[in-house]
Amino acid sequence: MTDAEEFLLYEGCMIGQRLPYLEKSARLVFEKLELKPKDAAFGCCPDPIGIQCSDYTSWLSLGARNLTLAEAEGKDIVSLCNGCTQTLTVVNHELKHSESKRNKINRILKEVGREFKGSINVSHFLTYLLEEVGVEAIKAKITKPLTGLKVACHTGCHYMRPVEIMQSEEDHENPQNLRKVVAATGATIIDYEEEHLCCGYAIMNAEEDVSLRRLQKKLDSAINAGAEIFCVICPSCFSQMDFNQRSLKKKFEKDYDIPIFYLTELLALAMGYTYDEIELKMHSQKPKLIKERFEGGAA
Amino acid sequence: MFVPNYEVKKQIIDLHMGEKVHYCYQCGRCTDICPVSELEPERYDPRTLVMQGLLGLSHMILQPDKQFNLWGCQTCDLCDEICPNDIVLTDIFTILKNQSMRMGLAPEAYISQAKMVMETGQAIPLQDAIARRRDKMGLPLIPKPNVKEIQKILKATGFDKKIGYEEPKEEKK
Repeated sequence: MTDAEEFLLYEGCMIGQRLPYLEKSARLVFEKLELKPKDAAFGCCPDPIGIQCSDYTSWLSLGARNLTLAEAEGKDIVSLCNGCTQTLTVVNHELKHSESKRNKINRILKEVGREFKGSINVSHFLTYLLEEVGVEAIKAKITKPLTGLKVACHTGCHYMRPVEIMQSEEDHENPQNLRKVVAATGATIIDYEEEHLCCGYAIMNAEEDVSLRRLQKKLDSAINAGAEIFCVICPSCFSQMDFNQRSLKKKFEKDYDIPIFYLTELLALAMGYTYDEIELKMHSQKPKLIKERFEGGAA
Repeated sequence: MFVPNYEVKKQIIDLHMGEKVHYCYQCGRCTDICPVSELEPERYDPRTLVMQGLLGLSHMILQPDKQFNLWGCQTCDLCDEICPNDIVLTDIFTILKNQSMRMGLAPEAYISQAKMVMETGQAIPLQDAIARRRDKMGLPLIPKPNVKEIQKILKATGFDKKIGYEEPKEEKK
């Protein structure tokens, strides 16, 4: 490892400005793995659903603007969010491969003195972990394995699709990347029928009721298969699955209390940090089982 | 009596510029795999939507009291992957949603998110309480995006007009 800053961190507005405790765990994991991300003054990625659906050209333009910030520094972007990763990867791909789109967007960017060149790459932190760090290097930093913890993995739609652009190595019908990294923590990964199913977050803006029924099916499937927690890699999935268990309770009069972990929270715990250090109390569904089982005390 | 919306039809056909145009033969695999259609089969059906879109029958899609028939799509991209004819359905739906937004027919939450990006450069701007929490957690300051530059780009694309954004009236200096 060199001392140079290796990549630009794109934590995204959801993590940075709504769920900062997820970022806390990510930064602790960076430290353990001796990664040196740099921050940049990125704007909205923008949201691959909301803004792309509002106006495609504006979505391309703002995405391209963010890419030019990284191009100016000659560094790749690594994101903690599925949505940001998808927007920036797809915009990068579209503008690299379509001359007409690139010319159109560059005419717009010229007004602010920028030009998209297509000289950097974008990846999700999960992909970066597998491709640049490696499972063995992660295992070498595990000091407190999460032995016996039964984890349901939820990769999320926008990490994997469109397959042609996002992940040549990942099988979107049977995703393996997240499983590989979670397995490194010593936890047990459970199989459940709805693993590939969307969390329902993205339908919330159109209709809450459908979104909650979508979520319920996902949670039920994993709980029935014996999952004790979920592990996710997207703050939108996290938010939907953690906070909206309360809404499910109100709506269906059924208790849900399954803790949701963002990947770097699980990694931080397995690398020796405690429940308190990574502020797990901030979760809506408190993961008390971590204290009880791995820290020898009640939460 | 109706006529197709040729502009919408053209935009959809333009998606396939340089490649052969893929016509939908209505096999319905998109609807079979759609996680929203599974829950709301009467209200959201990508198979019907793709047929109406390809024919330019946008008046059947863009109806004020039936937003869910289009915005029920959450862009999870499953249908794109399963289509045996390589139609990128969500790209077609994006064109239709853009049209819906311009007509003021998008769900309110989408409109307010778009306005937030126009106003602050971000979908979720930094609140003071979160800034204090970040500080307490020992997290670095988030570099502020250049909002003026972002707004300039969005004006160049006509985003403000497309989403019906009105600039807040500022006092004259």
